[in-house]
Amino acid sequence: MSEIPDNLGYTKDHEWVGPKEGKGVKVGITDYAQDALSDVVFVELPSVGDTFQSGEVMAVAESVKAASDIYAPLAGKILAINEKLEESPELVNESPYGSGWMVIIEPSEDLSSLLDAESYKNTLD
Amino acid sequence: MPLFETCIHDSHVKLGAKMVDFAGWHMPIQYTSIVSEHNSVRERVGIFDVSHMGQIFVSGKESSEFLSYVTTWNISRLSDGDCRYCHILNDEGKIIDDTIVYTFDQENYMLVPNASMISIVYDWLLLKSDSFDVDITNKSNDYFCLAVQGPESLRLLRQFFNLSITPFKLIKSENLIISGTGYTGEKGYEIMGPTSECLSIWESFIEMGAQPIGLGARDTLRLEKGYLLSGTDFNGNQTPLESGYSWVIDWNHDFIGKDKLEVQKNSRYDTLSGILLEERGVLRPGLPVFFEGKRLSELTSGSLSPILKRGIGLSYVQLPVGSAVKVQIRNKQLKGRVVQTPFL
Repeated sequence: MSEIPDNLGYTKDHEWVGPKEGKGVKVGITDYAQDALSDVVFVELPSVGDTFQSGEVMAVAESVKAASDIYAPLAGKILAINEKLEESPELVNESPYGSGWMVIIEPSEDLSSLLDAESYKNTLD
Repeated sequence: MPLFETCIHDSHVKLGAKMVDFAGWHMPIQYTSIVSEHNSVRERVGIFDVSHMGQIFVSGKESSEFLSYVTTWNISRLSDGDCRYCHILNDEGKIIDDTIVYTFDQENYMLVPNASMISIVYDWLLLKSDSFDVDITNKSNDYFCLAVQGPESLRLLRQFFNLSITPFKLIKSENLIISGTGYTGEKGYEIMGPTSECLSIWESFIEMGAQPIGLGARDTLRLEKGYLLSGTDFNGNQTPLESGYSWVIDWNHDFIGKDKLEVQKNSRYDTLSGILLEERGVLRPGLPVFFEGKRLSELTSGSLSPILKRGIGLSYVQLPVGSAVKVQIRNKQLKGRVVQTPFL
């Protein structure tokens, strides 16, 4: 059973969005997504300052077998990227909600479009 | 069409394997993770269910002459108990399939074709056997094949069968055929026999510490060693010379396709070459390869080497080892280099 923390927002594409810290929110992929991908061996992240519309491809996570697009969960601007993933992409598997975070986005919309933990869990059933 | 299942299919499902369609078979791609399974084989020992592969038996007075004619190797030079990797070519000299020929004695042999090629190879052998005194039997459905591979594999063989094995030799033990063969580049062996005996051997080896390994790691293990994958690195359009496997050819005998290879030998042609990515990234089959700004070819195989932690791939090019190339991944051209295989 995959872990779905209560305090995060989610998309049906298996991204999570953290609570607002200052101007930005942390974004990563869910435990379910990392398990489905298995062995993340390479993560291609956007550049700081890039802007995305909600649902646009902003990153790619690659396993040995396949490459998976990661979509921007919200419209906004990239404030920071997790540079540790360059050396240690396996952090996405080991700690998808912790040290395996991918980017910090400054959203240009509110967070109301996100699913709560319960609604996200229902999409997995 | 429903997928074929090997005789221990239910055991894979019970072990929690991710199952995929491979060449019409419902096969485990991974049990835990491709990287950890890969490392188990390189460092310890793993066991693979490769029962989807074929077993075609050739017997009769002219078996060695026949097999010498239909393969690139002079099979009549093999001694009893020898196993030999070689290619089966069509009349144009192109590879139909790669196989290992198992020599029981000078009138009894077995071939192990790839799963997707069993019926094609069987039909081809029948077609070419008219003027030879041979019997050809396809027993692929009656036989299992388990590959035990890795530095600790020989210890398990002694423990379970009280046997040892030499690379590329076979021994028969009751109903079983045990051969010093595999496709990982590690020490190891393959066990073949009637399907009814598969499950107990599979379970015993796992109990003794062999990690079950899926087809995902089988692919990365063979690619690190530069071994060919049927249907991917050759698909009916390449000769053994082009695939870089001239060592499978014994020129001192007559075989199907030889005349075409003799012509090609003295010409220039693309050969399957190793491509090592020099920037971070994962290579994939189909990615385009560029040299001096010009698109040359595509990768046939590609992955990430779990040991080198670098992108590795194969492509048909006409470039010397050391040439700088670029491989396009999404919208970026990344630096790579033509290298000698094996990658490790």
